Amino acid sequence: MRSVATLAVGLLLLLLQSTVMEFAPMHLVTPTLGLLVVLYVGMAPLKWAPGSAVVVGFSMGYLFDLVSGAPRGVHAFVFVTVALIARVLAWRLAVRGIVLKAATSFVASIIAAVLIVVVRAQISPESGYGGLTQAPLEALLTAVAGPPVLWLLARLDGRLDPALLRVGLARRRARALGQGMPQR
Amino acid sequence: MFPTGHRQKVREVVIITTAFVLSLFLLRQSVRSPEYLSPLDRGILTLVSPVQSAFATLARSIGHVAGRYVDLVHVRAENEKLRNDNDHLRAELLEAKRGAAESVRFQHLLGLRNAVAAETLVARVIAIDVSPYFRVARIQLDRGESLVQRGMPVITPEGVVGRINRTSGETSDIMLSVDPRSAIDVVLPRTGGRGILKGKPGENGYRCAIEYLMQGEQAKEGDLVVTSGLGGFPRDLPVGKISKLVKNSAGLTQDIEITPDVDFARLSEVLVVVAPAPPADPDAGSKKPLAPAHGLAVYR
Repeated sequence: MRSVATLAVGLLLLLLQSTVMEFAPMHLVTPTLGLLVVLYVGMAPLKWAPGSAVVVGFSMGYLFDLVSGAPRGVHAFVFVTVALIARVLAWRLAVRGIVLKAATSFVASIIAAVLIVVVRAQISPESGYGGLTQAPLEALLTAVAGPPVLWLLARLDGRLDPALLRVGLARRRARALGQGMPQR
Repeated sequence: MFPTGHRQKVREVVIITTAFVLSLFLLRQSVRSPEYLSPLDRGILTLVSPVQSAFATLARSIGHVAGRYVDLVHVRAENEKLRNDNDHLRAELLEAKRGAAESVRFQHLLGLRNAVAAETLVARVIAIDVSPYFRVARIQLDRGESLVQRGMPVITPEGVVGRINRTSGETSDIMLSVDPRSAIDVVLPRTGGRGILKGKPGENGYRCAIEYLMQGEQAKEGDLVVTSGLGGFPRDLPVGKISKLVKNSAGLTQDIEITPDVDFARLSEVLVVVAPAPPADPDAGSKKPLAPAHGLAVYR
């Protein structure tokens, strides 16, 4: 349920990126919103198991490939790698506050850009390793979008946390039982 | 929080390995047959395309509203009555201009369609360049989606746009001429020199270059570049202008950078060439003796 909701938000962000942002004045480079979803699940080790984070990363990448028209598998591979890198770093780094979240988004975007260009060069050698000149601007925009998107995902995650849902369910059941009991 | 048992660890490792293997498998499949889309891909695209189209329409509407708002900001300094009048008139004028511009755009498209002997289909652009590393635009066809296939040229009145990369239902992806994977046979009308137009990787803007043009060809900056007619594109369709010329000291070739005539960021409607023009009649223009008429009489 939580993974599906996160993926749905991710897909919505991808569609937003693919259309609305392309008609904005700065249309050549857009923030990689899908990556932020992967970054979030990767950086939340207490909420997301590594396997779940990787599955979300793969699904987001796969959807990104389909929506963007990129060769299938490029973003799937890159997002899975980013999810794993984020997971490894998450045990060593505590990302708190807007500045750190923006900085993490920036670094993740740069890593993703480098990985994409490397994978692209492997599957179509004629493309070469070019394209990295726009990576800093893309990363900057991703850093700007990072804190609000990560906050949104944390809110969603909090509402759909299985542990909290279980507690909520128990309370509701107890209340229903209480109402059903005869009054003194 | 998670069970730390051996089974749990094995499960996590299996999931992670499967995700990596699956993504590598997809990559391998993409290299072998880039146009292939699995039933799952088609299903997802069928679900996503209408939403994407709705988002594109919404974005355009917002763009128009934002444009109108920007105009209104300048008028705000005037007095209330004049401003109200101005608002009204300006809104009407903008609407009329937008309508006129759209009409002109469609007329150009229709003009191109009539001018090109090949069979074409009109399509609407619903997304452009989601990833800056792959120059791809997505189009939606109103009809004739079964006719569109990989490799078909896509053009506009301004010039060459690219080729169909893959199709799914009524949507198709265009590999733009500025994508490094694209290759289009072009000619310089002034010198007659021919070369291959390829996208330039690593460019912030939309740039492409001509490869394999001999140094003997005296190309210069500002020269027009048009299609040669090979590879399905109609002949003499504008591609762009030479913006930079670098002669290789060692080799025989020269590096030629092209600025495309098409503004890819503002693409809205395109034509897909679904069937090339029929070959020219070799006897056209020569006088042929008329054969004597036989058969039915003419009724008066």
